[in-house]
Amino acid sequence: MEFLVWLENTWIANAIRTIPWLYPTFETGHYIGLSLLVGGIMLIDLRVLGFGRSLPLKSMIGLLPFVWAGFLINVFTGSMLFIYGATGFGTNPAFLVKMTFMVIAGLNALAFDLAVRRSGGTWVVAGTPPTLVKGFATASLVFWLCVVTTGRWMAYI
Amino acid sequence: MGFLEWLQDTWVGHLVAESLWGYPLFETIHSIGMAMLIGSLGLINLRVLGFKPDLPLLGTRELLPLAWIGFTLNAISGSLLFTSDAVYFFSSYTFRIKMVLIVLGGINAAILGRRVFSDAAAAGAPAPAAPSTKWIAASSLVFWFGAVCAGRLIAYTP
Repeated sequence: MEFLVWLENTWIANAIRTIPWLYPTFETGHYIGLSLLVGGIMLIDLRVLGFGRSLPLKSMIGLLPFVWAGFLINVFTGSMLFIYGATGFGTNPAFLVKMTFMVIAGLNALAFDLAVRRSGGTWVVAGTPPTLVKGFATASLVFWLCVVTTGRWMAYI
Repeated sequence: MGFLEWLQDTWVGHLVAESLWGYPLFETIHSIGMAMLIGSLGLINLRVLGFKPDLPLLGTRELLPLAWIGFTLNAISGSLLFTSDAVYFFSSYTFRIKMVLIVLGGINAAILGRRVFSDAAAAGAPAPAAPSTKWIAASSLVFWFGAVCAGRLIAYTP
């Protein structure tokens, strides 16, 4: 809690409080990042699950840089929003659940990435992902939707 | 104003505004629909602009159902959110700007679809899109990302 209080009184937090439009700008940036991150991941996961077969699986997995861009935008904007209201957000149950889902979704993405690397590219090029990978894709859709949902609910809990 | 007042006084308006779950639930659906719509439409536009050339241009047509699902989710959830406070939303300039951007984005998408995905275009299959088509794709990105920004800023502007 002391850390949260300290965080909320840093010059960054004060700047976000005093400079007009900074908070709404970060919030808007967080939604743009969300579109890139979740939009991109959703497209990759759905392709793994068999949707949009005329789009090569390899090319769709190649959308990951957009996903990373969205992720980095949201880590930055999310950190700024958090610093501004650290004591409120840091103790908000919805926020803690959101972070838990983020970690799980991240580990799941690592498992997916590992499966892609281990395969040596065979099923990626052939467009025939194994069942296990389809499982990762399904889990990814569920976990990221949970991240969005719990994130949105932070304002109401 | 009569209609807007009636709308927010309907049982639907009261339900969304006053129930514990109504507003956050439809806001959540609105965020998910946004990711679907912007993700799929954004990728089509970027492809037309020449990014990701390894994706077959005509193949991106398969992303359209996803864009439509996202749009439909957001038309429904957005209407319900609007119903909760119709007079306020309608009088908001930012809300009006958002609606204009969505209409422009929709017209834009229809023109782009005709140019890029029509059967004639498919038969010809031109490799790089014409400059005018690229302008349409670029303005589509501006309209839709503009709509996202305006939507978020409704809460902060008159």
